[in-house]
Amino acid sequence: MTIPSDDQSLPTFDPTSIERPDESLVRYYGLVSLLSGPFFPFAFIPLYLKYMTLRYKFDDSGVSMSWGILFRREIHLTYRRIQDIHLTRNIVQRWMGLATVAIQTASGSSGPEMSIEGVLRADELRDYLYRQMRGARGESEPTMTGSIQVIPSDDPLTLLREIRDLLQEKCSSDGRAS
Amino acid sequence: MSVRVEQASKWIYAGVWGILSRWFRVPEHPPALPSSSGTSVESFKPAIGFLKYLKFQFWVGLFAIDLTIFVVELIILVNAPTMGLLLLVPALFFAIVPDVIIYLAIHLRYDTTWYVLSDRSLRIRRGIWIIHETTITFENVQNVSVHQGPLQRWYGIANVSIETAGGGGQQSHGEGNPWQTSHCGLIEGVADAHRIRELIMSRLKQSRSAGLGDEELTPARSGWTSEQIATLREIRDLIATS
Repeated sequence: MTIPSDDQSLPTFDPTSIERPDESLVRYYGLVSLLSGPFFPFAFIPLYLKYMTLRYKFDDSGVSMSWGILFRREIHLTYRRIQDIHLTRNIVQRWMGLATVAIQTASGSSGPEMSIEGVLRADELRDYLYRQMRGARGESEPTMTGSIQVIPSDDPLTLLREIRDLLQEKCSSDGRAS
Repeated sequence: MSVRVEQASKWIYAGVWGILSRWFRVPEHPPALPSSSGTSVESFKPAIGFLKYLKFQFWVGLFAIDLTIFVVELIILVNAPTMGLLLLVPALFFAIVPDVIIYLAIHLRYDTTWYVLSDRSLRIRRGIWIIHETTITFENVQNVSVHQGPLQRWYGIANVSIETAGGGGQQSHGEGNPWQTSHCGLIEGVADAHRIRELIMSRLKQSRSAGLGDEELTPARSGWTSEQIATLREIRDLIATS
């Protein structure tokens, strides 16, 4: 009943078009900063700067994000190396239609390597990432290997054997001739 | 009488659920997991024994706390009657209200926990205020472990934790919630833990033979480039003709 189908009125989800977080993220950051009470500016300014400089780039092999003004951070990872995906939505995020998609690779840190914030339709982003993950697709589907057309007779071993046999033949005939 | 009480509690519970799903956007349905057509996706909740297990813990806790409140209140009432009478209302409040909330929360926790297994991956949803969904493909699973305490054995349930590669498992993450650890999917309180373990392990073994192949076949197949093969063929033909 809740199986997502693409035939809804929404346009099909295209993660490659995502470059900036949604505007509601800055409102969410504002609300979160309000929790710190009198320290609101100290909490909000870094988050606001992060929002202003946050850039995403989804391509067909991986995803990268960068942010920061003074201290810049960039994270790049490939879809194939994703270990687990966590989708977290707290109550405020649910109200605003936001979510945090945390991606983990097999590196040593216990925290997520990348947490994508401020993407609307995070469910679809998560499912897109899931489909790119190792082991999510069927084995029957073609994988991205170098498309070398290897016919059985072109097997290097048979070729080498043939060469050896030919050379042997040649050597023995030469030996007899001399 | 008990039927009516049950009816009323069901009614209240439905009301709470209504508020949660309408105002707090708690999804009512199990999470979906994209899968190729023709494969089955199985979604289930923890076993009913898990609910009983949580409730048992709740009753033990309730007994301990309410007994303490009662004893303290009694001591005050004996030593300072006016003070004791004044404190009666807050004491009753603290003895009853948190229990009702916790009891409700146990039910809600049970009803918002979902496990979805497909033939390639699993998805776990947990939480009411913070909804946490974890997705892991079996291809990335490193090990599966089953834990069962004595109380859990009494209720016939066990926890299955599915771990992926990477540091920072449960041990180094002791401060947070045990189910929000990274690199680990915890299937809590299921009656058929061994079936799930076997299910995942069999899929793991399957994918080890086929699924890992698509990673390892790549260098094996491209070990010889087409140019190298063409050169070899040329050599063979040269020798053959000369």
